[in-house]
Amino acid sequence: MSPQLFPGFIGLSAAMFAIGAMGVLLRRNPLVVFMSIELMLNAANLVLVTYGRYTHTMDGQVFAIVVITVAACEVVVGLALITGVFRRGRRLDLDDLSELRQ
Amino acid sequence: MTILFGVAAGIAFLGAVGVVGARRTLYAALSLIVNMLALAVLFLLLDAQFLAAVQVIVYTGAVMVLFVFIIALLSPGAQERLQPLELRVVVGALAAVLFTVVLVRLTLNGITVTPSGHFHGALGPFAPALVDRHGQVQTLGEQLFTTFLLPFEVASLLLLVAAVGAVHLARSRRAHP
Repeated sequence: MSPQLFPGFIGLSAAMFAIGAMGVLLRRNPLVVFMSIELMLNAANLVLVTYGRYTHTMDGQVFAIVVITVAACEVVVGLALITGVFRRGRRLDLDDLSELRQ
Repeated sequence: MTILFGVAAGIAFLGAVGVVGARRTLYAALSLIVNMLALAVLFLLLDAQFLAAVQVIVYTGAVMVLFVFIIALLSPGAQERLQPLELRVVVGALAAVLFTVVLVRLTLNGITVTPSGHFHGALGPFAPALVDRHGQVQTLGEQLFTTFLLPFEVASLLLLVAAVGAVHLARSRRAHP
């Protein structure tokens, strides 16, 4: 693996994280917001594996596996919440979900 | 190898843009699948073969199927459109570029990579050639069950809690008033 590619991996990961953050802020559809969060988790995974590869450690890959586990849990609970909200006859719009504030 | 990185990185970037910019929710999910497959190729380039397989099986195989399933169940359709020249889209794109620059500068701050391909300073014991000789999955498993045993067990507990929580949340409320 050539060292010139290291900034490329970091740059791609940062771009993916920024795009995911903008998706969370801009979109109102909760499903798309969840997908943007997945995008950010993937970007974090890429940075972890990149640093593990270039420092000759296994920690990056182990952390990436833990992150994948957490992402799977988050998707399961999040999609169950979305289904529950949808079943109560709401539109799928995050701006409508303000009842938790009261 | 540089060409492969360029192609995979370009596809991953386009997939990421597609997730945020897609008009229909299903197209966003398909873009995310493309992005994750490109990411698996990048993991292969980084000598993380096991993680590339896990990425394809768990993410594109399980998580995204769940997403597509929920999209098909709820069929939300196209309700919201991001017009390309809308003010918040322009501001969001500018903010994303700025955020990327800040993140790259912070991450690469003070790091120099030697011509032989690793950082200055102390290196860990897991050189890629050594890991390949010992077996990638073997090395990873040994690490998981010795050094990282506690995070591993906590992760399994988290999976259990998430499964129970999802069942509780998705249960019909009329059956148990």
